[in-house]
Amino acid sequence: MAETTNGGATSPESVFALRCQELKKSFQGVMAVTGATFDVPQGMITALIGPNGAGKTTVVNILSGMMKSDSGHMQIGSTDVTNWESFKIARLGLMRTFQLSRELGGLTVLENLLVAPQHQSGESLLNIFFRPVLVKREERENTERALEILNTYGLYDLRDTRARELSGGQKKLLEIARGVMASPKILLLDEPMAGVNPALIDRIGGYILDLKAQGMTILMVEHNLNVVEKICDHVIVLAEGRTLATGRLSELRANQDVVQAYLGEVINASPTR
Amino acid sequence: MSAMWYYVFTLVFFLFDYFILAMGLNIQYGETGILNFAYIGFVAVGAYVTGATSLPNAAGTGQQYILGWGLPFPLNLLLGGLAACLLAVFVALIALRRLRTDYLAVVLISVSLVLYDVINNYVPLFNGADGLYNVPEPFASVLKLTTNSFVPFFAALTGVVALLMWWVMSRITKSPLGRTLRAIRDDDGVAATLGKGVFRYQLTSMLIGSFYAGVGGGLIIQFGGSFNPTAWLPAETFVVFAVILVGGVGNNVGLLVGALLVETLLIHLPAFLPDIPGHPGLIEYIDTIVVGVLLMVMLWFRPQGVVPERVRRSPFSLATRSSKTLDDRAIIVPTNDGESTPVIQQETANG
Ligand SMILES: Nc1ncnc2c1ncn2[C@@H]1O[C@H](COP(=O)(O)OP(=O)(O)OP(=O)(O)O)[C@@H](O)[C@H]1O
Ligand SMILES: [Mg+2]
Repeated sequence: MAETTNGGATSPESVFALRCQELKKSFQGVMAVTGATFDVPQGMITALIGPNGAGKTTVVNILSGMMKSDSGHMQIGSTDVTNWESFKIARLGLMRTFQLSRELGGLTVLENLLVAPQHQSGESLLNIFFRPVLVKREERENTERALEILNTYGLYDLRDTRARELSGGQKKLLEIARGVMASPKILLLDEPMAGVNPALIDRIGGYILDLKAQGMTILMVEHNLNVVEKICDHVIVLAEGRTLATGRLSELRANQDVVQAYLGEVINASPTR
Repeated sequence: MSAMWYYVFTLVFFLFDYFILAMGLNIQYGETGILNFAYIGFVAVGAYVTGATSLPNAAGTGQQYILGWGLPFPLNLLLGGLAACLLAVFVALIALRRLRTDYLAVVLISVSLVLYDVINNYVPLFNGADGLYNVPEPFASVLKLTTNSFVPFFAALTGVVALLMWWVMSRITKSPLGRTLRAIRDDDGVAATLGKGVFRYQLTSMLIGSFYAGVGGGLIIQFGGSFNPTAWLPAETFVVFAVILVGGVGNNVGLLVGALLVETLLIHLPAFLPDIPGHPGLIEYIDTIVVGVLLMVMLWFRPQGVVPERVRRSPFSLATRSSKTLDDRAIIVPTNDGESTPVIQQETANG
């Protein structure tokens, strides 16, 4: 395996927000992930790239606790979270979006966001009846914040629309907005720009850079290398379920293995820098 | 009081009672997505425990039952509701924790059948197939009610209880708790990735719904003074499902409409119609068919029910907007029109 040495933005000592070691996962004989080992550096935007079927979504599923890995370890900050349940991982501050949008269809756009904050006092039966003032105040604050986020993401006018009625691109935006509403430390985005028009791609890119500026750590699965080029600080290449290389995109372009496995056609097609 | 009024108040009682039952099933199925096919079992446990705690000690009554504490109303009713909650904890621990919706539904049908067989055949529990009878009528001696005046009195009392329980339920469904339950209904996997402990919420929902089931059952045994296995054939669960599906899943007003249409007009009213000459009992069979057909027609043509779940609009809006839209801040390609164009319009414009 050809590990590209870390350079520039990601020195070996840089703090990681998320670390996984030798994650493995198979589905009835299909080896989906065969050895994913990488660090996601703190406060940066990291791209997870690789051919279709490389296991990217499966890795995201494992990291978010929706699937249990067969073996390997994962760590959020200094906490070992191997095979934790997803709601516990979420409470440590890791949120995710889905490649195929999974909006909460029966809820309105605004409600989709209002569900996200953790430990709401109004989620307890006792508080609803015995501390109504507290519940109401918190709800008001959350609603204000949610409306601001919706405004930012251009979904404000759709706030009272049922989420299932949104278009594909709007659902992608809603998922990111919902993740942001939860104030995560780490946000995993599974192809946030797939199936959206070019103008919206640029907007989403802007949102993601904004989140980074607010100090969030982002890991995004992305096929569009122009986007990776523009906004990602660090790249992880996954091929056939294992980490092939990590580093900056410019370095990876010089890596023969990576070019063969994934980048070849893209490099040939686009002008070299 | 004429016989007609007696019938009318009986119908009114069942309207209110099924409203309560519908609210309980609705929070489980309509709000949380738990297909509780054992619902009528929870109703029955509530009825039996309400009866058995208000009856005196079984010795000398000619019946066999546990408890027999001679408790007054509404203490016995409360215990009936809590007993149904106890069953819910048990069911949740064996079934809810691990199973997906469809498997859970099958397990719950089995629970319903097992419960039915045990209560029907194990006589020392609740008098077996004979069921409980001679259950004291609440307040009857205090208010010097006759058999005739008890019926309107208790129908009204049930109305008050239903109103109270409706108030409680709408507080719950409007709250952040209700919203989280609906999130779990829509996609429990997503709810979990948002940090919601799905099992805890499903259990909460089961408990609330079961309490409603138990109280609804308790009111039935208090109204009629008796309760036996013919009153809760496992298929009765589907009558309650019909009520909420016809009325409108996820809408408390719809549930009252559903109770009126299905329970009052279709199930109970025909029982008071004169028999078709030469075919005694035929009406009751036709009745079951009509409920079945109605359910199919509703699911086919109006799956959202007569009164659909409403969109919960936000009571707030932003005082100042447009200045903060990301169009102004987008780093890659700022769109040149600085105003807050909704994405929806841009997409149609470009696509
Ligand atoms: N739930 C599942 N059951 C069975 N096989 C699965 C499942 N999920 C993924 N796989 C298999 O695992 C492999 C990796 O899939 P994965 O979705 O992780 O790829 P990916 O890198 O996200 O691909 P893409 O870029 O197309 O989204 C594929 O061969 C896929 O068929
Ligand atoms: Mg994928």
